[in-house]
Amino acid sequence: MTSHLKLTRRAFLAGTAAVGALSFSGPSFAASKTLNVLSHRVHQTSLGEGDNDALKDWKAANDVEINWTTFDSNPLMDRLFREASLSSTDFSVGYMVDNRPTSEIAKLFEPLGPWQEKDPIEAFDDIAPGLVQGMTIDGNLIGIPVRTATQALFYNEQLLEEAGISAPPATLEELVEKAKKISDSGKATGIILASDLAVFPVMFARAYGGDFINKEFKLLPDKAAMEKALTTLAQMFKDGSLPKSYATTKNDDQVTWMQQGRAAFTVLPFARAAQLNNAEQSKYPGKIKAIGFPASKESTVPMASVVEAWAMVIPANAKDKELAWSFIKEVSSKKNTLAMALNGNGPARVSTFGEAELTAKNPLAAVEAEVLAHARGAFPPFPEAARAQALFLEEVQLAVLGRKSPADAIAAIESRVGPLLPA
Amino acid sequence: MHRKRLLINVLKTIAVLAILVWSLFPIFFIVVSSLKAGHDIFAVPTKWFFEPTVQHYQKLVSAWPTFFSSLWNSTVITAGATALAVIASTTAGYVYSRYNSRLLNASIVYLIGVRLIPPIVVTLPLFPIVNWLGINDTHFVLIVLYATFFVSLGTVLMRTFIDQIPRELDEAAAIDGATRSTVLRRVIVPLAAPGIIAVAVFVIVYAWNEFLFAFIFTATRAKTAPLVISEMIGSIDGVDWGVLFAASTLQLLPILLFVVFMNRYLVAGLTAGATKG
Repeated sequence: MTSHLKLTRRAFLAGTAAVGALSFSGPSFAASKTLNVLSHRVHQTSLGEGDNDALKDWKAANDVEINWTTFDSNPLMDRLFREASLSSTDFSVGYMVDNRPTSEIAKLFEPLGPWQEKDPIEAFDDIAPGLVQGMTIDGNLIGIPVRTATQALFYNEQLLEEAGISAPPATLEELVEKAKKISDSGKATGIILASDLAVFPVMFARAYGGDFINKEFKLLPDKAAMEKALTTLAQMFKDGSLPKSYATTKNDDQVTWMQQGRAAFTVLPFARAAQLNNAEQSKYPGKIKAIGFPASKESTVPMASVVEAWAMVIPANAKDKELAWSFIKEVSSKKNTLAMALNGNGPARVSTFGEAELTAKNPLAAVEAEVLAHARGAFPPFPEAARAQALFLEEVQLAVLGRKSPADAIAAIESRVGPLLPA
Repeated sequence: MHRKRLLINVLKTIAVLAILVWSLFPIFFIVVSSLKAGHDIFAVPTKWFFEPTVQHYQKLVSAWPTFFSSLWNSTVITAGATALAVIASTTAGYVYSRYNSRLLNASIVYLIGVRLIPPIVVTLPLFPIVNWLGINDTHFVLIVLYATFFVSLGTVLMRTFIDQIPRELDEAAAIDGATRSTVLRRVIVPLAAPGIIAVAVFVIVYAWNEFLFAFIFTATRAKTAPLVISEMIGSIDGVDWGVLFAASTLQLLPILLFVVFMNRYLVAGLTAGATKG
C-alpha cells in the first residue's frame, strides 16, 4: 500500500488551529443591548429592513440591536417551547401561533396583563377582541396578536370567463356547480384543496353552519352540517371537480396549480394574493381574485372563515422582560401595524384595514376585514389537538374518496376524536 | 443461448438506466429548475427547452443573505468535524489494530452499538446540557457532535485499513528507535492515507448535509445551510421554488463534485476488509 499524500504536522496543526479559531468567532454588535427574538422569517421581513426598517427609531432610542432567529412554523414552535422550558433563555420574545397555547404551555410564558396595566399598548381595544381572547388562557393574557391569516376563496377570473362564468360564486352551491362546469370543460380542474389540513373540511362544514370542534370543545356541534360538508366534498371528487390526486395534494400544490392555471378555485389566506399574482411565478398575474368563502344558501349563520393568528409572547424564563415588552409595545403600535400591513402582513388591528394607504395598495383589505369580523380558528388549542386533527383528516379523506359513507365517517370521528378532548 | 444472453444484457441495461434516472433525475430537476423562469418551473407540459436565467440566484443573494453565511458555517463545521473525527478514528483504529485484550475486543462491540442509537435519542437530553455549558449556537458544539457521532464507524474503518499494513514495518521502525507516536505519524498515517481520506469523505458528506443536530443546537451564529433551505420551504408565506432550487443547487454542487472526485476512496472505504482472509 503506497501513497503520495503528504500531510505535514505543521500543515495539519495550522489547519486545525484555523478551524478552531473560526469556530469561536462570532458577530459583534454595535448597539449596547441585544434583543433575541425567535420567529418565522415573515415576521422579520414584514417589519422592513434598512431605511424601511419600521423599528429604526425604537432601536436608536433604546440603543438596541435585534437578533432574529427564524424557523418555519412547526420547528419554530418546537424551539420556542423547548427554550421556554429551560431554567433561563436568551430569547426574550417569541412568536406563537394561536392553535398552540394550552394551559400547560401557557404556564411557560409571562402573563402580559400586568405589563399592559403598567405600560399600556396604544389603543389596545383596536386589536381584534377574538384574537386577544384566543391568547387569553385560564384568564391570563399571554400573547399580543400581531398577524392574521384569514382564509379566502381564490378564483382565476380568466378561466371562469373562458368557461362562460361571468361572476364568482355567491353561495356554496354555486361554487360546487361552477367548479364542475370548469372541470367538465376540460380546461382545468374545478377546485384544488390540500387533503392534509383540517382547514378545508372545516370551512365546508361552517358553510352549512356546522363545525369540527367549537370553542366550548364540543365535537361536531352540528352533525348534519358536517355530513352535508363531507357529502359535498365526496360528490365534488366523484364529479372530477377535485383532482384525482386529492389524497396527496399539499398546500404548495394549491399555489402552483393556481399559478399554472391547472385549477380555477382554491382556498388560501388572503395574503397569498400577492404570490398567486406574481408575474415572475404566475401565468395569470392580476387574474387571480379573492372573495370570502361563500356560505350555503341553507345556512342561517354568517360564514365563519378559518383564521390563524400569531402573537408575540415573552418566555417566563426570559432575561430581559422589560426590553421584550418595549419591543412588543412598539411592534403592535398603530403605526407599525400599518407598516407591516403594507409589507403584506395580515393586521391584527381592526382600524388598519380602513387605512387609506393600505386600501390603495391592497384592494382586498376591505373584503378581508369583512371576513375577519366573523372568522375564528380551525379549532381551539388542546394537548391532543395534533392527534385529533390527524384522525379527523383520516376519516374525511375516506369519505371524500368514497371509501366510507359520510355518516360512517362522522360516527368514526366521534368515537376516535371524542376521547382526546379535554374533560 | 445467444438470444438469452442478449435478453439478459438488455434487461441489465434497462435496470442500470432505471437506477440512473431514479437517482440522477432529482438532481437534474433541481439544477435545471434553478435556471428556469419562475412560471416555467412547474409548467405542464414540462418545458425542456427554455432560455436560462440567473434571476433566482440574484434573488437568493438579495433576499436570503443569511444563506451565504450559513454556507460558510457549514464549511467551517464540516472541516472541523472532519479533522477531529479523522484524528480520533486514526489513533483509535491504530490501537485496535495493534493491541489485543478482552476489554478492547468488548469495546469495539460497544462502539458499533453506540452507532445504532437513533440521534434523536441523545439529542433532546443534550439540549439543556449544551445550554448550561453555554456552547449552544457555536461551531464548536456541532464539530464535536458530528465528530463524536462518526468516530465509531471511522475507528472500525481505520482498524481495517491499518490491519493491512504489515506489523514488520512498525517493528523495523521501533528497532531504529521510533516511539509509538513516531511510528503512528511517520509509518502508519502515510500508508493509511487512503483510509483516512475514505473516513474524511464519509464525515464530510454527513456533516455537510446534517439537519437534526443543527436544528436543535444552533440559532443564528452557527446556523448551517440545510436549516436555511428548510426555512425557504415556508408554510406561511409560500415557497419561491426558483430561489429554493438555486439555494439547493449551491448547497448540492460542492458536495456532489467532491463525492465524484473522491469516488474511489468512498468505494475503498465501503469495501475495506472485504477480501481479508
